[in-house]
Amino acid sequence: MIQHIDVHAVLQESVSGVYTDLVTRPTGRVVREGIERAMATAAGEVAVARIDFTRVGCIDYSCADEIVAKLLRSRPGVLVLMGVSDGHREAIEPVLAGHRLAVLIERPDGTLEAVGAPDAAAALLEELVARRLAARSAGGTLTLT
Amino acid sequence: MTRLVDVPSQFDDRSFDQFAGAFAEAAKDGERLLFDAHAAEWASPYGLVGLLVAGQAARGTGHGGEGAGERPLLTAPTHADVLTYWTRAGFFREAAELFEIHGKVPRVKAAAESDVLLPVTPVRAAEDVHAVVSNIQQRASAILASELGLDPKATMGFAMALSEACQNIVEHAGTGGWVAVQAYYWRRTLAKRVVVIAVGDAGVGFRHSLEPTQSKRFGTRWGDAAALEAALIQGISRFRDPGRGQGLAGIRRYLARWDGKIAIRSGTARIAIVPKWDDDVPLKDGLPPFPGAQVLIIIPEQGSTKR
Repeated sequence: MIQHIDVHAVLQESVSGVYTDLVTRPTGRVVREGIERAMATAAGEVAVARIDFTRVGCIDYSCADEIVAKLLRSRPGVLVLMGVSDGHREAIEPVLAGHRLAVLIERPDGTLEAVGAPDAAAALLEELVARRLAARSAGGTLTLT
Repeated sequence: MTRLVDVPSQFDDRSFDQFAGAFAEAAKDGERLLFDAHAAEWASPYGLVGLLVAGQAARGTGHGGEGAGERPLLTAPTHADVLTYWTRAGFFREAAELFEIHGKVPRVKAAAESDVLLPVTPVRAAEDVHAVVSNIQQRASAILASELGLDPKATMGFAMALSEACQNIVEHAGTGGWVAVQAYYWRRTLAKRVVVIAVGDAGVGFRHSLEPTQSKRFGTRWGDAAALEAALIQGISRFRDPGRGQGLAGIRRYLARWDGKIAIRSGTARIAIVPKWDDDVPLKDGLPPFPGAQVLIIIPEQGSTKR
């Protein structure tokens, strides 16, 4: 089962109904805890958690670390980020590279890309295929199964 | 007795040490201070924020002298244009709480000018950083893209850099501070338009913040300059969490991409990442002491910035 988590909704519930930006460590911490609660209470066995950043404005480095890096370090399951803009990536990629971590990003066309530390990214894609959570198309792109 | 602190007529990061020296000398016996800005002709966001920081420090630390607990005095600029500009930049809105102001301050709305991207704004908590980031994005977007020639996508990076700079106050200063963002034509050094972010606080400073975890590592070298080097160059934070220290590293990456400059002054030292277009020095030590930390970020108009 794939669980869908709307980060914008978590932000609105957790911090403020006004702001759309993921900035500051305290905000990142509260939002991560909200995401972790949603994961913990999911009905059924979740193979993949799809974390949706659509409608999220800016993400700063502190929030990228507090949310994405800490979720990856604490959660053994597969995380897939979607709705990720170029601006979001600007914060997420260097933070993950610094931790030697990688995460999957699902593009609007459904194909997957691993970003972060190159060796961790390659290992993540291999693992995904080995666990049959994703399949390669004829063109070599990966999509969730 | 009241001690006089002259505010430089051109008050920016270049004249700041002159101001800091006058402030340190005047404040040492805890008398009430008079900040004299009557002859001010121009002040950068860095100067305006620095003046507020001095006012906050002067009010908070009377050292038991006659001036203890009293608000310092401030003589406002006499030049009408300067006065209006300081008001529009939001300076007097914040100064009113810190200083006993002498001089007539015009009733002008803050940020009425398009080059004031963010008027002088207090930063005390994470909520303030949210407000700053939210306010800046729409205003900065047009300036960064149309006037500075940055990729429109750079606006988010700018907001990220601003957020991280402000968070230094919330996370490390132990007190509140201020941020201001302005765009202006920088005739002296570049002959180009620039966007300038100034962030300042009268808090504990970098050395005090990092001392418990870093002083042993640096040994006899430990001091304000070593603390700034540890934070900006080595990405060291006082927190043991391995993800810490990302903020300044992120700002450096952003500035490297857009040929920008960052300088941080704390205590008696100042460190800078100096782009080719500037003639600043990377590290200065033995400066006049000044409370807290002051961060300056400059992003120039894109195109050739080689001198």
